[in-house]
Amino acid sequence: MAHGLLVKNDDGEILIDSDFSHYHFLGKYTHTSITQVPDINEGSVANAAQGSNDYKGMQNMPARGEIYKFSVPVNGAKPPMSFIKPTSTGSSAPFTGIILTKQNGTNWEIWVFQSVVTSASPVLYCFAPLSQISNSTSTTHGLKTFDNSGTATFDSRFKPLRVVGGGNITSPTLAHTGSTGSSWTVSLGVNASNVSASFTNQSSASDLIYYCPSIASACQQYTHIEADQGWYSYTYYAWARGDLWWCFYRSCFRIASTSSFEANYGVYARGHVYEHKVDSTNLLFGIVLGAITGGAYFAAAVALAINSGAFTSAGIDGGNYLPYENSYRNNSANAFIISKASYYD
Amino acid sequence: MSYGMKIFDSSANEIFSTTDSTFTLLGVYTSNADTSTTHTNVPIMPTRIVTRIMVDQISGDDESYVHTFNLSGSTLTTTAPSATETVKTIFMVFGK
Repeated sequence: MAHGLLVKNDDGEILIDSDFSHYHFLGKYTHTSITQVPDINEGSVANAAQGSNDYKGMQNMPARGEIYKFSVPVNGAKPPMSFIKPTSTGSSAPFTGIILTKQNGTNWEIWVFQSVVTSASPVLYCFAPLSQISNSTSTTHGLKTFDNSGTATFDSRFKPLRVVGGGNITSPTLAHTGSTGSSWTVSLGVNASNVSASFTNQSSASDLIYYCPSIASACQQYTHIEADQGWYSYTYYAWARGDLWWCFYRSCFRIASTSSFEANYGVYARGHVYEHKVDSTNLLFGIVLGAITGGAYFAAAVALAINSGAFTSAGIDGGNYLPYENSYRNNSANAFIISKASYYD
Repeated sequence: MSYGMKIFDSSANEIFSTTDSTFTLLGVYTSNADTSTTHTNVPIMPTRIVTRIMVDQISGDDESYVHTFNLSGSTLTTTAPSATETVKTIFMVFGK
């Protein structure tokens, strides 16, 4: 820096450097709508008189989280930093994370996913560079810096971002560990241990807001196939039924205490598809197995869901009707930043 | 605070002070879908963090890969894990 302003704190951290743009408070936003990904629950029954007809719905499946959609009025290529003020904090609080960021005209569309449905709603505290803030102010007090092109980089009148903590956090690998089910009873609830990261202790957890976009996802499934054949009342019978349950999880986060930030998963989407056949040929089992492992019938079922705007999945043309199976993606460290709502309320 | 600087608004509310901490935006770098990209001239500060945001993914379809990265000196190297399923990723590098 040949000229300008450089301010450091007593830890040697740079607070203001007039060469670089700082993020400033844009506003506090509430959601415009709430949605959930509709379930995919499809199956065919040739003759329900033979074999079990139980558990053909979403019984025993873990509850879905909900999605809050926000539209943040900030026009520019740099996405806003959207801090979440969660509905609650502590060891029983829901997990919440930003799952979608998309520029839409002069706004940025932000989707916030919360692991459980609550009556209260998360709120976004958004920040943007001065060049993308169109707010005006008449106050003449404060400090304003410029870079060597004359562009404003810091202006205390617009409440610069103040940080009280931060670090890196990595979500668990899989959302569910251990057995995924028994017979027709599925067990896919999130039971992974929370991953915790600490930050500088604060006086009040409920005052904290955090920035940590969700990038990790996991998908897990459970399958069950049963068949029987024989003679009953002088009639030969044969039936087979195959089921596949799956959950697609997104990583999300919570303020666990005044010094602890936690990561885990919530159920973003879920499905249960099945095939129930009655036939006297010895090919029956193979027919059901083929359907469950990727038949055209299921591709059509999922295509219907897609047309209704429910869940878009790559590879549908290949007969795939779940995102991917028993695996996870983007499970690497992501930065988180903690601030206080009271700085901006 | 025995020394340092405080900034107040016209109502005498403290807006910023040298007892605070913050992250300054050093740069925003975009790696397009399915493409590995090396970004250069990333400013250096004593402490830096990198946040990744998946952008423009198909609404509701969040199974895509996000770019991985390595920040060393003034070079941010981003890698697409998949040639067909890596979503466009915005990297925001902050420093303090």
